[in-house]
Amino acid sequence: MSLAEFFVRHRNEILQSTGEHVWLVGAAMLLAIAIGVPLGIVVARRPWLSKPILGTANVAETIPSLALFGFLLPVPWLGDRADRLAIVALTLYALLPIIRNTSAGITGVDAAVREAARGMGMTDRQILWKVELPLSIPTVIAGVRIATVLTIGIATIAAAVGAGGLGEFIFRGLAMVNNQLILAGAVPAALLALAADFMLGVLERRLRPAGLTAH
Amino acid sequence: MSRAWLPICALALLCGCGPRRADTIVVGSKNFSEQALLGEILAQHVEARTHLPVVRRFYLAGSYICQQALLSGRIDTYVEYTGTALTAILHDPIEGDSSAVFSRVQSEYRSRFGLEVMAPLGFNNTFALVVRGDDARRLNLKTISDAVPDATQWRAGFGYEFTERPDGYGGLARVYGLRFAGPPRILDLGLLYRALLDRQVDLVAGNSTDGLLAARDLVILEDDKHYFPPYDAVPVVRDDTLVKHPEVRAAIADLAGKISDAEMRKMNYAVDGEHRDAAEVAREFLRSKGLD
Amino acid sequence: MSPHADSDPIIEFRNVSYQIRDAKGQTANLLDGVSFTVLRGETLVLLGRSGAGKTTALKLINRLLDPTEGDVRVEGKTTREWDPIALRRHIGYVIQETGLFPHYTVAKNVALIPRLERWPEDRTENRVNELLALVGLEPQHFRGRYPHQLSGGQRQRVGVARALAADPPILLMDEPFGALDPLTRGEIRHEFQALKLNLGRTIVIVTHDINEALLLSTRIGLVDAGRLIGTFSPEEFMRSKEPSAAPYIEQLRELERAGGTHESG
Repeated sequence: MSLAEFFVRHRNEILQSTGEHVWLVGAAMLLAIAIGVPLGIVVARRPWLSKPILGTANVAETIPSLALFGFLLPVPWLGDRADRLAIVALTLYALLPIIRNTSAGITGVDAAVREAARGMGMTDRQILWKVELPLSIPTVIAGVRIATVLTIGIATIAAAVGAGGLGEFIFRGLAMVNNQLILAGAVPAALLALAADFMLGVLERRLRPAGLTAH
Repeated sequence: MSRAWLPICALALLCGCGPRRADTIVVGSKNFSEQALLGEILAQHVEARTHLPVVRRFYLAGSYICQQALLSGRIDTYVEYTGTALTAILHDPIEGDSSAVFSRVQSEYRSRFGLEVMAPLGFNNTFALVVRGDDARRLNLKTISDAVPDATQWRAGFGYEFTERPDGYGGLARVYGLRFAGPPRILDLGLLYRALLDRQVDLVAGNSTDGLLAARDLVILEDDKHYFPPYDAVPVVRDDTLVKHPEVRAAIADLAGKISDAEMRKMNYAVDGEHRDAAEVAREFLRSKGLD
Repeated sequence: MSPHADSDPIIEFRNVSYQIRDAKGQTANLLDGVSFTVLRGETLVLLGRSGAGKTTALKLINRLLDPTEGDVRVEGKTTREWDPIALRRHIGYVIQETGLFPHYTVAKNVALIPRLERWPEDRTENRVNELLALVGLEPQHFRGRYPHQLSGGQRQRVGVARALAADPPILLMDEPFGALDPLTRGEIRHEFQALKLNLGRTIVIVTHDINEALLLSTRIGLVDAGRLIGTFSPEEFMRSKEPSAAPYIEQLRELERAGGTHESG
């Protein structure tokens, strides 16, 4: 059976695994954004916090993903359902690029703009919402884009602890020494990553405030 | 700016999506040949009896993975071993009595997970202490206790897992007072029997349904003190599946008690030793039992 | 003294010092015991070389900085008593780099404070058009432009328009024309003078350019190394015997000799 025939024959399972994969990545990214963007703002506001916060996120990043999944297995409630565990681990991985880019985006706002805003009598909150955040959107979304592509790849490893997703095909294919199974997992995962990168690139361009020259 | 929400909505919709498998039954298995055989037997019989489409999802990497797949609905059923369910999934202490273990596993799976543990298939894939046939006959060895005095002059070969597990070597040595001439050699599972036959070791801990046991002059020593917990093979099925497709329950129930230790060994040997296709071997077996 | 001034001090510095501490823990006084008064309606130019402390003094007025010692009073209240936001809304602020919001159109930039103060939309619109016309930018043409599409001089005009949007009684300008080339700078300076913004408004300008000081000020405050050497009318300054005034006077004499412009107010 050719690869194409294999894909057609098993399209339902492949689509279902892709859906599981998207669910894992989507949930993790939403959590990572909800936690990471505010933390990035905090780090930008209080530079002395940058070391502890970025340092912690960095530790999560350097732990090999398989090891991180394994560490979380014995944790009560988390370890009971593999998809919960996977989402938590994936969120930890996605945090660093998002925190870092959010904080860089905000501190990267031109000092003159910030000074003028303060000098004219804008409150800190007004400066955050009307000046700093809108101007950082391109950088923040770039961070989300990086994190998403990263997470799609790491999510394939989540199958090793039973979370499902496209990685399951890969592991089964490895155990059975069956290339078609491996590709049934690897090809959709790669396509997902490309699609996500593309869509987020479109979003980055659409949300870039008018008046900012592209860089 | 509102047009930017379109890709976001699309992404959100995609989350948690995937076509719901309408009426297919997904049979899973762990990643060794015996499991693939059992998976095939389940799958083929359910297909033949219920005419529902069956999808195979074999070679999942272990009990935890299979359990998660059941809980999340990625598979509908697979075959587990009662002893493994007890220790690795329920984290309950080890017991020796076969029907007690079965009842406990069945009731806890039902109450904690909503999973139905069905009647045992008929064989017990437990750890087996194996010696060469000629030694067994010469020294008149039938049980493990028989072998304890001679063991002091023997070398043993164990797999890594047997050495580490609480229900493995440590407990065995305590319960039987078993001592060897030196520390046991740790070997890859696939090499254990060859080392035994080549007389590099004199006793190994294999699995009681290993294929090679059917084909070579090897003898399993009986566990007279009932040290090893039972590992009765049982089909585990999602309750939801049985509710939606009651005919699946009947189909799987057909298989209860149909596979003996010896029959499992023979099938394992056909796949591992003779390199035959698991699906074919399973089909032959079902035919021989009048179940296809 | 300028004919436009009341004898009513609107800004007062009383023995103000501003100290900073560097990374090694060493302290330095950017301002040291500075006292002066600005009367309502005056245009005071703080003149001095870079690092003299004049920008620091300016920032003490709208409370971007707080004095280490002494008081700065605006409208009779010390800056510490003022709510910083209210104080700054009361004061227009123009800086050298302009600091226009790059993601806002010209109109939105100018309308910033009126919108924050929740003016009715049509009043804001009218005000924006009025100010753009005032600073020499044709409203219909420039309203929808973004800062990156403007030249340096045009940006600076928008900056001034923005600062004046809510019609503040005080205007602070920190080297407002410093980033412009000399020709543009000269042009804008004259236009600014012609605007007669100082009618009813108190202006404090920081510069190191003697021409600007002479052209725009009603009084010059000479600042050197964190101290206020003295305040002078433009004529008094030119006749001054102060050693720190000498380089400026000399600079002007040189330009005259070379055939350059000598402007007086």
